[in-house]
Amino acid sequence: MNVITRGVRNAFRSPLRSGAIVVMLAISIGLVLAMLVARSSINQKIDSVKTQTGTTVTVNPAGVMGGFGGGNPLTTTQIAQIKATAHVSAITTSLTDQLGTTDTNLVSSLELGSFGRRQQRFDNQGSMATSGNMAARPAPTPHISVTGTSNPSASISSDQLTSGSMIDGASSGNVALVGSDLATKNDLTVGKAFTAYGQTFTVQGIYKTATTFQNSGLILPLATVQALTDQAGAVSNVSATVDSADNVSTVVANLTKTLGSAADITSQQQQAENSVTSLKSIAQLAFYGVIGAATAGAVIVLLSMIVIVRERRREIGIIKAIGGTNRSVITQFITEALALTVVGGIVGLVFGVLVSGPMTSSLVSNSQTQTATTQRMGRGGMGGFGGFRQLNTLSAAASTNIRSVTATLTPSTLIMSIISILAIAIIGSAVPAWLIARVRPAEVLRSE
Amino acid sequence: MLQVTNIEKSFAASHGNVTALHDISFTIDSGQFVSIVGKSGSGKSTLLSLLGALDTPTSGSIVVDDVDIAKLSADQQTTYRAEKIGFVFQHYNLIPNLSALENVMLALEYGGMPGRERLERAVELLHEVGLESEEQLRRPARLSGGQQQRVAIARALANRPSLILADEPTGNLDSETGKTIFDLLHKLSRDEHTTIVVVTHDLSIAGKTDRTFTLKDGTLATLKR
Repeated sequence: MNVITRGVRNAFRSPLRSGAIVVMLAISIGLVLAMLVARSSINQKIDSVKTQTGTTVTVNPAGVMGGFGGGNPLTTTQIAQIKATAHVSAITTSLTDQLGTTDTNLVSSLELGSFGRRQQRFDNQGSMATSGNMAARPAPTPHISVTGTSNPSASISSDQLTSGSMIDGASSGNVALVGSDLATKNDLTVGKAFTAYGQTFTVQGIYKTATTFQNSGLILPLATVQALTDQAGAVSNVSATVDSADNVSTVVANLTKTLGSAADITSQQQQAENSVTSLKSIAQLAFYGVIGAATAGAVIVLLSMIVIVRERRREIGIIKAIGGTNRSVITQFITEALALTVVGGIVGLVFGVLVSGPMTSSLVSNSQTQTATTQRMGRGGMGGFGGFRQLNTLSAAASTNIRSVTATLTPSTLIMSIISILAIAIIGSAVPAWLIARVRPAEVLRSE
Repeated sequence: MLQVTNIEKSFAASHGNVTALHDISFTIDSGQFVSIVGKSGSGKSTLLSLLGALDTPTSGSIVVDDVDIAKLSADQQTTYRAEKIGFVFQHYNLIPNLSALENVMLALEYGGMPGRERLERAVELLHEVGLESEEQLRRPARLSGGQQQRVAIARALANRPSLILADEPTGNLDSETGKTIFDLLHKLSRDEHTTIVVVTHDLSIAGKTDRTFTLKDGTLATLKR
């Protein structure tokens, strides 16, 4: 029998005490694993959300968000500055507007409702949808949203085009993509005509998206909207595509510096950061949990081994008296601590695997109320015009992602757990080892 | 040969230094059976600790086979104890969760004997001290006092030490068993030519040894040949 065998055998010399130590260690190590799994899974989800958010930076005129606010649209010079910014690979520009009943022969497919009435309560005080149209307005009716865009594909994907073809965003023709609800309401099909801004437009395509708001709008070439609303060169939204996710923050910083207070700049990454803030808090909480549980485990081993060493002080003295070196005695006791920790670790890992899923779900669900509230506020604040596809996609993605964190035991988490177990045993054995080295056989044997 | 020259041992106490041994000198030839007698507190066990390198003297020298063990480092003292010294204690001091056989094999392990030879040597030693095969597999708690002391003697002999130090080896045994153990030690002294130093209260035992030292208040009072 060698020193290792003796150490392992000694670990279970007192079955009751060893059992109690193993149970305590198993709980501690199980919590370490569960917290590591929770942290790892949440971090993976955070990375996933960030990866899925893309590399688009949105620039709006300062004070303007969708159809709300006030201020001046972005100018041709500012658009050129955005385009010239390092790492910006492409831009999509858009200008939004609304059509009232006097601007078009189309009837809105939206119900006005209490929200619409609230939004349009000032319409009878003389506001204008188009320049030069001073006709008296009837009672408020829902407006039809118009998006003039340089790249219609950024607003509507080809899958969402149910009939017809995509319009050319660079043209200045009187062609339109019509939302499915609006088309149904006005009996429009591809090739049919309608009037807006005192001009005749031809329906080139009909699209259907996931939102009623979008399905009730029109998409026109940017230049057409700019010309018909007397806003040559002006845009209300620029979506800049950055060449790499790593450069998004740099581009945001450069644009902020270049455009100053004239523009509000947001990136999908920033929005993703905001949406995963609660997840980050949980990941940090889980990290502190790992440290706490590992410390508790180390303290359990430490106190147990101190008690064991004190109880077997005489035995240590005898071993030293018959020729046992400090190293061999310490090795024997560390093996003993390691054996207890490994058994506790095996039981703890099983326990940890069982509880990590429910624990991760519980931790994440506790933060969902706050997250969901934040998301609802974000949607309401958009108002509803221009660039909504990316923003809505992001919002939906974040919502889905935050609610679907799955606890996964990865090899790296398992390795971290095993390292934690070894650290618990070594730290827990350090003080007892020091006590063993101090035992002098003469003192122990004299006491007999 | 064991040569003790002018050794002193003092301990720090709350009321100042206490001198346990004062100017002790003697010489023991190899193979001699020596007893040390004296009242409690006379310094007998302290002297035995110094001879066994369990402790170091405050001053003086202890030379065993031309090596001054008082000047050895802690690691060297451990090696010295493993190879040159065999201890026998009043309370046997066997490791409780090891069998009689394993207790003897433990000493052989510390003495550096290869693993495959330990079992054979331990069995041989335990047979030599009169322990049956079945008894060799028992833990100390399942052996009588006399049997435990036999195991302790076998353990002390394991590495063929040049010096066996026995502290009250019969103090915890009835007189008949004590006599048996004493006879066993005496026989070993003769057969193995091993130097044995026994600390005892029992003057009848002391009278049967080759020489007897009497300690009184830390000084060597009488030396009987």
